[in-house]
Amino acid sequence: MTAQELGASLQQTFGDKILQVNSPQPGRLYVTIDPDSVVEVAAHLQDDLGCRFVVNAGTDRRRQRGKFLITHFFAKDEDGIYIALHAEVDEDDPRIPSITPVVPAANWGEREFHDMVGVVPEGHPDPRRLVLADDWPEDLYPLRWDVEHGIKPPIADCTPERKPPPEGSSVVPIGPYFPALEEPAYFRIFVEGEEVVGADYRGFYNHRGIEKVGCSVLTYNQIPFIAERICGICGCVHSTCYCQAIEQAAGIEIPLRAKYLRTIMLELERIQSHLLWLGIAGHIIGFDTVLMQVWRMREPLMWLCERLTGNRKTYATNVIGGVRRDIEPDAYDDVRSVIKEIEREWQALYDSIPGDTTLMARLRGTGMLPKDMAIEHCAVGPTGRGSGVEIDVRVDHPYAAYDRLDVKKCVHDGCDNLARTLVRLDETLVSIGIIRQALDDIPEGPVLAEVSEDIPAGRQAISTVEAPRGEVFHWVLTGEDNRPERWRVRAPTYANLQVVPPMLAGSALADVPINIGSFDPCFSCTDRMEVLDINSGQLRTCSAEDLSNCRR
Amino acid sequence: MLEELCKKAFFKSLWLYHTNTGACNGCDIEVIDVLTPYYDAERFGIKLVGSPRHADVLICCGPVTRQVVPALKRLYEAVPDPKLVVAVGSCACGGGIWYDSYNIVGGVDTVLPVDYYIQGCPPRPEAILHGVAVALGLLDKQVAPEALRQLPDSSESVPIED
Amino acid sequence: MILSKLKQALICLLAGRVTLPYPAKPHPPDEGFRGYPEVDVDKCIGCGACAAVCPARLIKIEDLDQTTRRITRLLERCIFCGRCAEVCPEDAITMTRQFELASDQARQDLTHQCEIFMATCRRCGACYQPATPLDRIMQPGFRSDEIDRGGDLCQYENVCLESQQAENTTATVGEGE
Repeated sequence: MTAQELGASLQQTFGDKILQVNSPQPGRLYVTIDPDSVVEVAAHLQDDLGCRFVVNAGTDRRRQRGKFLITHFFAKDEDGIYIALHAEVDEDDPRIPSITPVVPAANWGEREFHDMVGVVPEGHPDPRRLVLADDWPEDLYPLRWDVEHGIKPPIADCTPERKPPPEGSSVVPIGPYFPALEEPAYFRIFVEGEEVVGADYRGFYNHRGIEKVGCSVLTYNQIPFIAERICGICGCVHSTCYCQAIEQAAGIEIPLRAKYLRTIMLELERIQSHLLWLGIAGHIIGFDTVLMQVWRMREPLMWLCERLTGNRKTYATNVIGGVRRDIEPDAYDDVRSVIKEIEREWQALYDSIPGDTTLMARLRGTGMLPKDMAIEHCAVGPTGRGSGVEIDVRVDHPYAAYDRLDVKKCVHDGCDNLARTLVRLDETLVSIGIIRQALDDIPEGPVLAEVSEDIPAGRQAISTVEAPRGEVFHWVLTGEDNRPERWRVRAPTYANLQVVPPMLAGSALADVPINIGSFDPCFSCTDRMEVLDINSGQLRTCSAEDLSNCRR
Repeated sequence: MLEELCKKAFFKSLWLYHTNTGACNGCDIEVIDVLTPYYDAERFGIKLVGSPRHADVLICCGPVTRQVVPALKRLYEAVPDPKLVVAVGSCACGGGIWYDSYNIVGGVDTVLPVDYYIQGCPPRPEAILHGVAVALGLLDKQVAPEALRQLPDSSESVPIED
Repeated sequence: MILSKLKQALICLLAGRVTLPYPAKPHPPDEGFRGYPEVDVDKCIGCGACAAVCPARLIKIEDLDQTTRRITRLLERCIFCGRCAEVCPEDAITMTRQFELASDQARQDLTHQCEIFMATCRRCGACYQPATPLDRIMQPGFRSDEIDRGGDLCQYENVCLESQQAENTTATVGEGE
């Protein structure tokens, strides 16, 4: 089914409720619907057509149209289509029916647009604040165009609204400081004895207002560098994704060599990230040899990236129209020898893992995420693939040079921490193969396309990239003044973290760190915990030692 | 005098507590990298500890976001005296690329007194080791205001709208 | 179990000791590393291209008077992307391999300030950089009110590009009417 056919079938099913259907690029469908029918259409997309919910976005278009634009994004992975459901909401009455009751994965996105543009999702089951600080003024919505990007309301003391624990359970708060989680996050784990009965999450401690800065002060060619700093581990993914979105919106065709170079950097980054994750996972389960040895293997790769791009992590290679720095043919052998060494050591590691009872005891059968739960909450990346959900952006929605390379989806159906580990172990080897093939096939030629300065306003584009953690999604609406009007980013953890609270229920408290860690490199939930005794209301801090005592 | 005492006390073993004040993770990973085999900071007696109560040094990565301000102040109070605060990365040093965003308070020095700054985005593990060596007084710092970099009056802050 | 432990021990043993002697011995990055951006003030023409592209917006340009332009770089915020070096028309900025930037006073040590001598536009009075090196020597940048060389000046002498363009536009509009 193509995007046009899907649009036509939607029009047939819903008639006048569909106001406009548009498919400017292949595999992209932009549908404008009546705001009152949003629940109906979303339910049809998810339940009848088998679409996966991606994210939602709120845009302030009062200047252009006198309305707020609320968008729900869906993906139809088997046909390679992304669908945007736009609904325009009146500025005097900013309300839209919530789709969370029928699409549970929309939970955070709806709370986010409530925080950021002030459109109320009516009927949302959990309408607490999500993104902004607890002391942020009620009626100040940072993504509205008339709010300054640098506005700094005075800081006040305020306690967050908390979900009450179930009757008879105790609360174990974890966080907000973990040394290396994507976001310093704050989990409240509800326990009965050793067993977890529920969890609550308050995150966004490092919300930095990137979307607002990008849409109000930076220009198109400055944003790749801020995008790269969304995540310090998979930054190249974000800058590639953003550049692709702008190139798609402006109709810029980048040179083939640039596509290959992007592919090579993305795969090097994936290897780096998976090695990093394995080390961290080893640390979480108390097997520090894994951390030390795996990070030792990783270090030559960091040096390689530094030679190729000029920095170990923030490569800063992507700009709109291609890449800034070419890889000289002399460096190919350098890349080959580094990945060969990693492959050799990785193979040795792979051989020694399945027989190791220590690792198996901690990984097998823990952190169960059943396939239907993964699908319901739209888990992406290795988290989804470890539960048998066969999605991989590189295959489903090819970008860069992936349509010319052999990419294999690494899927395991164990649904536990071990399966997620194995997915990452397999993927590293696949990545090494992709880099080899890309180095053999890479054509000669320029690496940067000429870009005319003007990108017309009002165009939109969706771009996705498979990050080491899953699907990265960028939606761009181009605007005036050489900058986008709206730039929406969804990192894979945004989708995956929403699965954590339901997934933790039923596991043992000692497994919580690895369960959370198996999604993402968060290590050392064990580092510092606060135990709140609900009877006395007293707060005490306990260290890693106390926690490991509890485990025994 | 306090500085002298610090140097004496810290020389043999620096215990670090590492905080992410809103960073992108780049600097955090490099801080961990310093402890892995190639750089092995433990040979200088440097160790990451799990509780601020055990720490001598508070390592802060990232711009200070609005949400972490109260938690960061509490952390600082939890570290026993004498203590050092080290800001790692350009975000922690001055707010980085998002210094003027609505949810960023600024660099770490807007909230805590910072003793050493390690600039870099992210700093190489070598740069972090160098910074620690500078803090210990083992090495001299490599950057200094040159004649041309001289500000009109060093007591005055830089005359620039921020 | 024992076999896999042996395999793991082998991985560790084969690796041997890898620790680098840094900081006792230097471990410089390879060619092409983007470290401290060094500015050759003599080459800088004060065009401000670097300030326009800098994603961290740390380069501030102020005109102190009609002949002096001050460029301040707050490198404590620098993200080392190297865009300024890339766009500089005079190659005045180089990304050096200096990465040891630790300091106890970042604001002082990492602020780079320079003052560039500019010419003054006769029409609008703003600072501008004369087009060729010869012009630069010939026009030491007097204030516009001090210059009075009569009507034999070539049309655009001592006039900045913006004023020239503005003038051309006005002329065209005038003809159209």
